[in-house]
Amino acid sequence: MSDGRILSREQCADIVKRVAGFSRGDGETSVSIQSAWNGELRWARNRTSLASDRRNIFVIVKRRIKQKNGDAFTNQIDDVSLEAAVRSAERVALREPRREPTDLDIDLPVFEYPVPTIWSNATFDATAETRGSLAQMLTQDAETRSMLSAGYLEMRAAAFAEAGNGSDAYQGMAARPKPATPEPLEAGMQYGALTQGQCSMTVRHPKGTGSGWAGLSSFDWNTIDGATLARRALEKCLSSLNPVRIEPGRYTVVLDPQAVGDLVDLLMPPSDGTSPFERSEAERGKGPFVLGPDPMLGIVRTKLGLKVIDDRITIEHNYTDPQLGVVPGLGRHPITWIDKGVLRTLNYDRQYSAPNLNETVGAFMRPSYRMSGGTTTIEEMIASTPRGLLVSRFSNLNVLDEGSLLATGVTRDGLWLIENGKITKAVNNMRITESPLFVLNQIEELGVPVPIFRPEKYVLPRLTPAVVPSLKARDFSFTSTIDAV
Amino acid sequence: MPFTRRTFLRTGATTAATVAVASVVPRPLLAHLGRVPEPVPPIQDTRLKELTQRALDAAKRAGAVYADVRLTHLRMRIVQGDPRDIESMTVGVRALVNGYWGFATSPIWSFDEMERLSRESVHQAKTNILGRVRDVDLAPLPAVATGHWDMPVEIDPFSIHPDEISDYLKSLMTFTMARVQEVKFSAEQITAASISTIRETAFASTDGSFCTQRQYLSAGDFNFTMRNPVTYQSDSHHLELLLPAAMGWELFKRQPLRDEIEQRIAETVEFTNLPQAPVDVGRYNIAIDASSMSRVLSSTIGAATELDRALGYEANASGTSYLNDPTEMLGTYKIGNPFLNVTANRTEPKGAATVRWDDEGVAPTDYTIVNGGVLSEFSATREGAGWLKDYYNKTNTPRIPRGCAHGGRDILGGTYAPVVCTPNLAITPGNSPRNFDDCIRELGNGIAFRRMQFNMDFQQLNGLATGKAYEIKNGKRTAAIGGLGLLFRAPELWRSLSGLGGAESAQRFGMTTSKGEPPQMAFHSVTAVPAMFKDVTIVDVMRKA
Repeated sequence: MSDGRILSREQCADIVKRVAGFSRGDGETSVSIQSAWNGELRWARNRTSLASDRRNIFVIVKRRIKQKNGDAFTNQIDDVSLEAAVRSAERVALREPRREPTDLDIDLPVFEYPVPTIWSNATFDATAETRGSLAQMLTQDAETRSMLSAGYLEMRAAAFAEAGNGSDAYQGMAARPKPATPEPLEAGMQYGALTQGQCSMTVRHPKGTGSGWAGLSSFDWNTIDGATLARRALEKCLSSLNPVRIEPGRYTVVLDPQAVGDLVDLLMPPSDGTSPFERSEAERGKGPFVLGPDPMLGIVRTKLGLKVIDDRITIEHNYTDPQLGVVPGLGRHPITWIDKGVLRTLNYDRQYSAPNLNETVGAFMRPSYRMSGGTTTIEEMIASTPRGLLVSRFSNLNVLDEGSLLATGVTRDGLWLIENGKITKAVNNMRITESPLFVLNQIEELGVPVPIFRPEKYVLPRLTPAVVPSLKARDFSFTSTIDAV
Repeated sequence: MPFTRRTFLRTGATTAATVAVASVVPRPLLAHLGRVPEPVPPIQDTRLKELTQRALDAAKRAGAVYADVRLTHLRMRIVQGDPRDIESMTVGVRALVNGYWGFATSPIWSFDEMERLSRESVHQAKTNILGRVRDVDLAPLPAVATGHWDMPVEIDPFSIHPDEISDYLKSLMTFTMARVQEVKFSAEQITAASISTIRETAFASTDGSFCTQRQYLSAGDFNFTMRNPVTYQSDSHHLELLLPAAMGWELFKRQPLRDEIEQRIAETVEFTNLPQAPVDVGRYNIAIDASSMSRVLSSTIGAATELDRALGYEANASGTSYLNDPTEMLGTYKIGNPFLNVTANRTEPKGAATVRWDDEGVAPTDYTIVNGGVLSEFSATREGAGWLKDYYNKTNTPRIPRGCAHGGRDILGGTYAPVVCTPNLAITPGNSPRNFDDCIRELGNGIAFRRMQFNMDFQQLNGLATGKAYEIKNGKRTAAIGGLGLLFRAPELWRSLSGLGGAESAQRFGMTTSKGEPPQMAFHSVTAVPAMFKDVTIVDVMRKA
């Protein structure tokens, strides 16, 4: 990976060394570096509409002087820009009102966790030519059948480096011990790199009477079989043509893993927003995991330790899981949020844990997760359903009530009626009013968990994969018919 | 997507989002224009023209029939307690070869890098030719873009000391706290942040364009929650005067923010003291405020008239459009009732989408999207205008690109290729001088909504909207109704429009949208008036099937 698309370990160490050299006076210096490369291809109407190669660099310099913090951001890595960044961080640090030392200023314990493999040469080495001919192959069948395919291929890589204890330790994220004897800043630098691949496409009838979608994301391009995805999207499009309207109401549903993932995103959001698992929020009486106020103690009790969903479901993140990987910078110990239906973890940071739990490590929300499943295939679920609906995926989901995670949204790219164990017809998309927590309490059968399409969309060097089963659930609430295809 | 500090940063570096402490700008950044690196020169510096020319020459040598290059120098200051400054430089080169586009970006402004990016973008384009024909017919430029433009603002936000900004925000918070306590409510979670950006761009294309501009965009994220101590009901507010706008510090300093805070407090006092009425689903006449109207305009008509959506170019991303046959629908499709007129522009002062030249070097012209209830134009890029060749030939209309190309407006601004963005939109007000209260009086009996949020499908066709709902009897707000929603199909809703507020009731609202793959962010403003609709479907949004 030394062709200049992303910064190498040596280049990062050099930046760190130069930053350390520019720091004046006492206090700690820390540096975060990220460099990102994206190789992308977008197509629409069976032709490539844009192919791109995009690169960028981010450097954050942090100075911590007598419990005062300052930082500066730049995307330039020459000497003058870096020195300006250091001076700027120092100016801010000296300007900031001095904080009284708190528990958070104690030295951190040592955490040694292996970095799992989140790098794939297959992803990094895929060239523009690879993407070009792949896109042609993926649109071929759609074009032959006179359908319109639109899709996106992306291979990306990012390098990240962290040196110094600075604000990461302050925030209680990555924890490194202070060395016994002073060492150069770059000697303690942590360096990592990751790749991400994604392939997704929507095949539509030119008159807009049918639409099918398929997609997959993974750090390893070898695990993404574009041809299968193209076939699936085309099949879904053809079999969704000319849908009929059925009455809204409660139906037994067979949800594709992607549909399950879309719903569970409300519970396990992939982005930086507040998650329903925030412990401090729950203790303020917010979110779905509030049990209620305890007037005797004057606190709000949470549902920690209580059963919240079906006991066949475990939702967890383990750094050794080869399909998940880790987020750079976050603590890497395994977390189980829901263990056989029981709420086990609500997330907190060090600011919370040090005073409240007498712990020095936080339990941070991870953007990726694995959900347990069963062994039933989708075909078997359909075969055992007298009347129900098969859902490909959901779109535009919005939470209506944070207390129950009741949300509204619509089905997209294929909805089929199941009658007497068989798919009998394509039906119009419908609006749903449902909560992932209700659905996960009404499970009948579960499929084998598989990776779904859940790429990190922005240029952040982190991964957001999820491994999710298909499932069959009863009494799923469809509230109105929509005629969008 | 609500515009918050978080959404702004999400599209940028995680680093920016995860570091909670302050910063001031690391100036100067360096450009490599001569033998030694030097501070980034002003965007009008003639050497930047040479830099862009180098990119264009290299692209042409490599085989591009058309190429453009965009240098972006972005400064952003976020003040939330402490200031945080972010500054970046980016460059993107786009090349067209045999109907295929290639694009390459990086953070380095140097002659060597221009050559590399041009070669790379031509290479990207060429790898997709593969014997298959793709026609690109770029609409001719109305005029070759040359010159420099400084967006006029009253107060450069970077001329104000961060401490002053911080103090100003604190004073607003103190004011809010005091006023909320005056009405005997408890104030919870008051947060305030200001976000100011200066975006300098230099654009050059092989059509001979070279133009530079300096644009401002400011926004505030001011939120507070009030709780009624008796009913324990709470109500949250997000100041609408601080939505994104092409303004400087005057967005804060010279707008009646305290008046809006007082109005909001009065609104909550009224709302939480009204008796609670149960949801009675059915068909009602309704009145909605200008804020709700701006959102329904943007999420139905605004998004649906983006040509790339209509033709399936966004099918795998943000979705398609119910206006799915542009050539047939233009000039004939009844999008709403005859007094619905919607115009679009990227020229209005303070409009969040306002530019002097778009990201393809097109000087935007104003146009009409809906004329007398009939669909009259789509928003398009230069390439998009070519997709409607048949329509233009049929109707003998000249193809005029309206300047809707937009290359992502966030801290990575220059690293996205242009796509169609929603322009600033405006609805033509009604003739009688009504405001929201007049609408409610005229309504007699029905339901009124304030500040609705819209959940649309992926074709902008079917929607469900929720907001603060009032029961209206004899022209008065008589009860508050929780969990009430408006369920609609866009064309039917616009055909049921029964009255519009007058020109005095018009308000501008800044909005953020995201589209494309990879997703990129853009801003626009919508100027709207309160409105009345007849016989629409009201549902209980919290009720399951």
